[in-house]
Amino acid sequence: MDIVEGLLTKSAQLREAARLSDEGYDRQIRANVTSLRHVMSRGSLSSNDSLFDHFDPGADSLAYLFLLHAQIHALQEASCETVPAGLLPPGRLWSRMVSYLKAFDPVQVRYAGQEWRQLVELVGQAAQMASKPILAVRLVRDAMLRLDPSCAVFTSTHLLLVQLCLRARAYAYALPVLNKFVCHFPTSTSHATSRSSVVPCATHDSSLSFITEASGLSSNLTYKDYLRYFLYGGMVYSALKKWCKAAHFFGVVISMPATGSISMIMVEAYKKWVLVGLLDKGKLCSHPSMIASNVVKIYQSLAKPYVNLAQTFERGDRKALEAEIDAARDIWCADNNMGLVSQVMNAYSKHTIIGVKKTFAALTVTAIAEQASPAHTSDEATESIIASLIMSGAMEATLVQLPNRNSSTMLRFLATPSFRQLSRESRVQTRLMQERHSLEALVDSLDESNRHMGLSDEFVDSIQKGQAWARMSDVNPGMGEDAGLEIDEDLMGEVS
Amino acid sequence: MDTLPDAFPSTQAGSAASYTPGYPTAGPLIGGENPESIPRIKVHDPPKFDLDSYIANYVGRTRFDRLYLIGTSSTVLATEALKLAVAEAKSGKDVVQYEKAVRALAEAAPNEEDASLDTAWVRNVQRQVQMQSERLEQELRGYKNNLIKESIRMGNEDIGNHYYETGDLVAASKAYTRMRDYCTTPNHIASMLFKLINVSIERGDWLNVQSNVHRLRNSQSKPEDQAKNQPKMSAALGLAQMHSGSYLDAANSFLSTESSLSDTFNEVITPNDVAVYGGLCALASMDRVQLQHRVLDNSGFRNFLELEPHIRRAIGFFCNSKFRPCLDILDAYRTDYLLDLHLQPYVSELYALIRTKAIKQYLVPFSRVTLDSMAAIFAPEVVGGEAQPTGVSSPFVQELIRLIKKGVLDARIDLEKGVLVSNQTDLRTEVQNNTLESLRSFNEEAHLRILRASVLHAGLEVCAPEGERRSRMSHPSETRGMGIAERFTRGGLRS
Repeated sequence: MDIVEGLLTKSAQLREAARLSDEGYDRQIRANVTSLRHVMSRGSLSSNDSLFDHFDPGADSLAYLFLLHAQIHALQEASCETVPAGLLPPGRLWSRMVSYLKAFDPVQVRYAGQEWRQLVELVGQAAQMASKPILAVRLVRDAMLRLDPSCAVFTSTHLLLVQLCLRARAYAYALPVLNKFVCHFPTSTSHATSRSSVVPCATHDSSLSFITEASGLSSNLTYKDYLRYFLYGGMVYSALKKWCKAAHFFGVVISMPATGSISMIMVEAYKKWVLVGLLDKGKLCSHPSMIASNVVKIYQSLAKPYVNLAQTFERGDRKALEAEIDAARDIWCADNNMGLVSQVMNAYSKHTIIGVKKTFAALTVTAIAEQASPAHTSDEATESIIASLIMSGAMEATLVQLPNRNSSTMLRFLATPSFRQLSRESRVQTRLMQERHSLEALVDSLDESNRHMGLSDEFVDSIQKGQAWARMSDVNPGMGEDAGLEIDEDLMGEVS
Repeated sequence: MDTLPDAFPSTQAGSAASYTPGYPTAGPLIGGENPESIPRIKVHDPPKFDLDSYIANYVGRTRFDRLYLIGTSSTVLATEALKLAVAEAKSGKDVVQYEKAVRALAEAAPNEEDASLDTAWVRNVQRQVQMQSERLEQELRGYKNNLIKESIRMGNEDIGNHYYETGDLVAASKAYTRMRDYCTTPNHIASMLFKLINVSIERGDWLNVQSNVHRLRNSQSKPEDQAKNQPKMSAALGLAQMHSGSYLDAANSFLSTESSLSDTFNEVITPNDVAVYGGLCALASMDRVQLQHRVLDNSGFRNFLELEPHIRRAIGFFCNSKFRPCLDILDAYRTDYLLDLHLQPYVSELYALIRTKAIKQYLVPFSRVTLDSMAAIFAPEVVGGEAQPTGVSSPFVQELIRLIKKGVLDARIDLEKGVLVSNQTDLRTEVQNNTLESLRSFNEEAHLRILRASVLHAGLEVCAPEGERRSRMSHPSETRGMGIAERFTRGGLRS
């Protein structure tokens, strides 16, 4: 029980220290974490559930976290499994974990990143073991947003979240995280931007300062992790039929830098990117400009059926398109893209009907049916396609049924949708605001990147070289800056 | 002298079957469902001209070519024209031409007495030609030994003329080209170049025609000679430009042709042809203001137009926006133009261009116009004949749809009310959409680039061998990290 007493005093000290300066708080947390790890390693925290009642998951985040780990550890040792049955959802420990992830203190956790991450991963695993991944989705997402509201630094938790969402088919839950721009990766050291905020617990402009490789908030990353994150993210968006975003995510995957060969994940993404482009824009989109031409060739040769499909789509030949889809059915199924391909035909109808708008101001449904929809569908079917297009806002038109029973329904495209002008204006305004916010977020990320690049050793080397050149041409030696740099170089020599 | 890829053998023996006129590849073949088996446009209506007086306008080898074309294209004039062609060929020395004409006549009218080959004549002419070729070559060798420039030039010219008459055009142009080194006066150069131009026109080598015209223009001949040559040069250049499909250039060339051309260039083109070619090319490529200024008010070209008053009337009607009479005139003369040696491949294209321009011009003042009133002007035959003259399947509406899809017409069809509505762009919406779209694409690209830079910075590029990557990653990044930390804590860098 004296251990509990000790923990309680430590926690109380921590609460006191929170009111101190950042440095003081930092020292206190570090001391706390060290002692907790020490206690943990001795294994003296018995699996006594009543212990939790002494601590508040919010204020005593660290102590609570280590207690949880001790309990889990005990269970794991008892059952010799990574995810023991006692952890599974309806269990007592599960509810403890849930209440912790809902209330933890994001600042304290920065110092115990590894434990926090393991807990989140355990929650994910446990939910999947119980075949209820949906239970973990919201928990993981909210925990991520709690830790880092900007979500701009890629961590292994990002990948975990989208995987859970795809498993749970709870696509919309991932959106709050997916909609944020991931711009950075944890770097090997924390170098804060200004002297006052060198400690992790301080308020940072960017989460890049506390999510580092050393913090343990993310496991070691490889290129596969972020490629998969963006691929899965694109799949989430395509499941929600947000084609534009999906195309962007797939575009990220296919345009990542590659040395030598490319990854199969990128090829998968390319296939989906072609399909999504067709569904969204009705054409084979042009590649992002930064893909090297040889890489494009590799994509095109590996995804030949998809490129062919897109080209047939663009040519506007309905029969050939149907034949193309049928002919390569095995390929679509093998690539798990059947779902997207089966929507291509509808997209074709949609794009042809919308294309009719360029030529006609008004015409009969029969005339449209001749050009746009499959030969075997009746006028009624075409009419319902058109009606659904109008209702979804994809085109601005009206259907007029004439009193004469024999004549077909008339479709009239609206030139100036005056009656919807007001709602349109407000919609445009909100979208402009959204774009503005994302632009601002990007600018922040860009600044952060600039700072980091400016501190990278490549950049420093080039600066040094530049100054060395300047010095050589300079007849007047003895500048203060030059002297400082020389000492700097000496120091480097000692270090390495 | 470059030879064309489709050039025929330069020796005459055995080339009887392989001779084809020089222009079959020059233009698109229109009107036939299967261009391979039906190489020629067939014309069934009688033309407006009288064959005898028409062909009397021309001299030289173009007479045969024109007669042969009329004979093989027109069903009405086939026999008459081919008989004339046989006679024409027989009066010359070109055996290949003769055989070709006889074959065509045998197809068109097997019962004619000219339809069988006069083998005695053929043998006789072949022998004569052979003998003369040898004699001329012999003479040339003699001249070359004597090293007299003028004689060599004339010898080459004689050989060129001889080959030209006997139909060996490649050899002829080679001989003419050889004259070049022995030309001593600008006049000689000019005459040589004209001979080359003539041969090239007959061969259908339009690039060569153009380059020779340019050479002629740059030659340092006297101003009065230059003035004398100008009409022929412009006409030849216009012809070449028309054949290469640049109608505006062709129209300009024909329009700048001086009326002093009269009948000096009858071996290729008559003033009537200049008027027709120039007028049609101008109609197809110029707008109303240009037509008025540069064609109708052009005093030089007026002389030509007076020879073909209907062309002037057509242009006048077009300028006054009376499109129906204009198109009527053109339709009336369609047959004539289809039987013209140079115009035949381009008639359909030129007419389509003129018609499209007329439709476009017609729509300018309207914001909406009924399809019926348009059809009355541009498709009068449809209005009378069909139950639904402006239904979606009528040819006229289909034509409009094609034009709209091609982006020629900025309008939309309202089939309910039967009107064509010109598009009114909603600028505000357009600007809004463009702004949103450019913002979105900018954001996406910026994200891509930032992310890419971060990937490179973190050393997480995609690369093949797993083991190699690991070792590369773990090692230097650690030392690098320390380096940065050291540097940073010193703070010396930031000063």
